[in-house]
Amino acid sequence: MNDKCIEIGTIQAFLDGETSPDLSFRISGHVAACDKCALVLADAEEESSVVFSALDREFNSMVPTQRLWSSINDAIAYEKSHTSFWDKIRTSLSTLIANPSLTVAASVLLVFGIFAAVWSLKPGDVNNAVGTEVANVAQPDVAIIDIVGGGTEPIQAPQAGLKVDASNLQPTELKKLVTNANFKVSSDQPKAQYLVSRAPVEEYLPGEETYVRTISDLKQNVDGQKDRIMNPSSRIAYERDMAVVNDAIKKMKEVVKKNPKNQSAKQVLYSSYQNKIDLLNSVVEREELMVSLR
Amino acid sequence: MIRNGLQVNRFIISLCLATAASISLYGQTTPPPKTPKKPVTRIEAPAYPSSREAPQPSSTVRGTSEKALAVEAKVHIQLPCISQAKVVINGWERNEIRVFVKNGSKFAVRVHEKDASSGKPNWVLVTILAPDRSRIRMSDCISGDRIEIDVPMKASVEMKAFETETRIDSVRKVNIKNVGGNVALRNISGGITAATYEGDVAVENSGGQISLETSTGNVIAYGVSPGEIGDTFTTKTRSGTITLQKVDHRQIDANSVSGSVIFNGKFLPGGLYNFTTSDGSVKLAIPGDSSCRIIASYGFGKFDTVFPLKIETENITEGGQSMVAKMGAGGADVRVTTSSGSVNITKQQ
Repeated sequence: MNDKCIEIGTIQAFLDGETSPDLSFRISGHVAACDKCALVLADAEEESSVVFSALDREFNSMVPTQRLWSSINDAIAYEKSHTSFWDKIRTSLSTLIANPSLTVAASVLLVFGIFAAVWSLKPGDVNNAVGTEVANVAQPDVAIIDIVGGGTEPIQAPQAGLKVDASNLQPTELKKLVTNANFKVSSDQPKAQYLVSRAPVEEYLPGEETYVRTISDLKQNVDGQKDRIMNPSSRIAYERDMAVVNDAIKKMKEVVKKNPKNQSAKQVLYSSYQNKIDLLNSVVEREELMVSLR
Repeated sequence: MIRNGLQVNRFIISLCLATAASISLYGQTTPPPKTPKKPVTRIEAPAYPSSREAPQPSSTVRGTSEKALAVEAKVHIQLPCISQAKVVINGWERNEIRVFVKNGSKFAVRVHEKDASSGKPNWVLVTILAPDRSRIRMSDCISGDRIEIDVPMKASVEMKAFETETRIDSVRKVNIKNVGGNVALRNISGGITAATYEGDVAVENSGGQISLETSTGNVIAYGVSPGEIGDTFTTKTRSGTITLQKVDHRQIDANSVSGSVIFNGKFLPGGLYNFTTSDGSVKLAIPGDSSCRIIASYGFGKFDTVFPLKIETENITEGGQSMVAKMGAGGADVRVTTSSGSVNITKQQ
């Protein structure tokens, strides 16, 4: 606004009630004295009245009209179609974070996740045996133990383990020594070697596996109890018969291995297996009889 | 209110998901090597008495006693537990049982069931006299120097014992299980099931379905025949010898682990005979006019016969020796199996 006339923007703001009271007072005084500004103000007021009359129905309505809803929905659809993936993620996260219960749940999940990660990444799983494979980890030959501040020579660790012989140190000093010990494996030492030995896979004849499994199950039952059930003379007889049967099985297996088509050898082999089952069963039945007599 | 409830539900569901996720993560990780646990001190159950250590009777009341009871002819007599005694059971013509115990525990004859028509007992138990106890314990077994029981000849006897010398004669049916001691059975017409784990089993002049078993003893059967078509004869021993003479069953199964199997009799037409031993020998003494088909598998053993056999197949490979041969028309199937023993077929004397 200059000294003579008021700018149209200021007049528009005055009409909208957006000017300060002081400015409004000055504008009113100026318009009263200036015909030109009064004319501009009248024009602006007329234009505003035209506009407001056109929008009067929208402004005075208590609920949005269908047209307004349509325009709002269109605007939302437009926003959605033009929102990037990351914006959507951010919006979802912000919505979730705004919900306190979901925030707590997410925190619990995070804590569990961290715990699981720490657990799974924890070192020292190298000795795990998987399936029938047995992993033997060779121990490093030399381990160097530096005693901090002790001025002691590096200790050569034995192959099997560290042995602490009798010492003249007091218990407190020994404790301090151990506490301050800095164990580290020399980097130039050969790395641990994994010697994986596979269990020999037994090849069974048709039906043989059933015998072997049955014998295994029975043997588990019998082995723990035969000392209790049988007296020494019976036990000796049992072991002798078992040795006879085992010898027969071993011999016949070799024969069948040499000539798998030898039906006679197979029959003797199966018969020997059956003998072994009967032998084990006799112990089980004897135990059952004793139990039934209690 | 509802909003709060929904929030609580959401929280619970989320917590469950978190727990499941953590468990699945844990499950996918390789379990760390377990440190050996401190060995748990195992408390062993009290040892069973061995067959040579039969339980001593708890009853302080000992002496000689006798009881009698009128029963049905086909009564079933049950002796649930005898600890140590010489047991003699005889069949007689009277429909009555008499139990006599010499220098032993006091006993009771309990009627378990009565016949609906006659009202006489058809199922009785002979147990120790222990009226205060509803359940028989090991220490409640009958014992004595001698137990004599007379029963109707059509009676069936069932007996379980620790250490007994048992002799049963002239009853219809016997079922006996003995931890230790010899069992001798005669004139049993309706079938036998006998098992002893340390002792011999001998059966004579009997019939029906027969099953004889012992661990370290011998089995002897003489003059045994089937009661009806389809009755089988089965016998097993671990280290004893099986001797079968005049056994007329058409289906015989004899098995010894380290002992021998001896058969002296006829192979009946259509019969199935199976003789098996691991280390022992199989000896068959049969009439010269026998008709059978011999299927012998003798592994590392040997085969010997005095009869001219018509050999169908023969395998002389060491360890897998076998022979299939016919004698006469080949009416019966005789399977002989031994791992390292010998098979010997001779003429019946």
